[in-house]
Amino acid sequence: MGIVFTKLFSSVFGNKEARILVLGLDNAGKTTILYRLQMGEVVSTIPTIGFNVETVQYNNIKFQVWDLGGQTSIRPYWRCYFPNTQAVIYVVDSSDTDRIGVAKEEFHAILEEEELKGAMVLIFANKQDLPGALDDAAVTEALELHKIKSRQWAIFKTCAVKGEGLFEGLDWLSNTLKSGSG
Amino acid sequence: MFSLMSGLWSYMFSKTEFHVLILGIDKAGKTTFLEKLKTIYSISEGLPHDRIVPTVGLNIGRIEVSNAKIVFWDLGGQPGLRSIWEKYYEEAHALIYLIDAACPTRFEDSKSALEKALRHEDLQGAPLLILANKQDLPSAVSAEELDRYLDLKKLDERVYMFEAVSGYDGRGIKESIEWLVGVMERSKRTETLRAREGYAPVPTS
Repeated sequence: MGIVFTKLFSSVFGNKEARILVLGLDNAGKTTILYRLQMGEVVSTIPTIGFNVETVQYNNIKFQVWDLGGQTSIRPYWRCYFPNTQAVIYVVDSSDTDRIGVAKEEFHAILEEEELKGAMVLIFANKQDLPGALDDAAVTEALELHKIKSRQWAIFKTCAVKGEGLFEGLDWLSNTLKSGSG
Repeated sequence: MFSLMSGLWSYMFSKTEFHVLILGIDKAGKTTFLEKLKTIYSISEGLPHDRIVPTVGLNIGRIEVSNAKIVFWDLGGQPGLRSIWEKYYEEAHALIYLIDAACPTRFEDSKSALEKALRHEDLQGAPLLILANKQDLPSAVSAEELDRYLDLKKLDERVYMFEAVSGYDGRGIKESIEWLVGVMERSKRTETLRAREGYAPVPTS
């Protein structure tokens, strides 16, 4: 996977600094995905401002991960991580139907951010191996993805623990970033 | 002075932005068509054919033709994903419907998905461009033949046209888009949508 990843993204950004945010509620599987991609060491940092951001630097692309939801007081600090973001990977626990409504609210709230207006969106409907997991069409419906009309998006069924679907999603992402029409 | 006047001119008559939906069942060639369109009308190079995968979401293409800006929405056509099509109807100025003209076994499926879309009230009065795609394949039927095959009823009040195209080699695309821009500029639906927006420019980001 690591090598494939190199091939995929090496030509996308050139030498430009780029950022890809991996977001979702807690326990959606974000960190597992990062580990699965084997891009490098995941560094966990807890800044003094009080939320935990994991970063993987991959050549000139910075992947940054944190949990959405919860504590509203620290949210203004999220903005520190928004500039130069080319893409948002939104990870959803497809089996957590109780919280999919919250996942939807958080998703649309983050897309409202001015500095993320140009970012394209890749959705991972994760944990497809769990019983009762919603499929891609159902997650599309639940997250109200149709409200996105001015940027490209795609949804993929994934199972991060087995590594399924991740490659397909990243393939889409690198192609779309290359064709440069966010 | 001239630049002042021309500035004022372009301020007052800034380009209208049109939203065009590209629909059709899976494997009709929507994304390939869109990528070809981008190559024809803009400096950005579209994706090569071998890099195009089935769409599970929304692809966007932006082009400028004469005095119009067009935003294309290309939505996935797999059966499970068709349910989101209608969520995009309300804001669409026109509809492009692609059909794989070389695959008669799926004409019925194409026809019923199109008829369903046309019955939806949010698409009322939207000009319709039906494309007999994949003309680069020898077995493709012509636009006229496709028209006969589909035998669409109740199109009388809608502005529509059949055109033969190939998203692969690009034939027919320019003619199609020119026609579409013309009818959108004159269509009542465009007026209605503009009135609803309150003449405010549409955010483009």
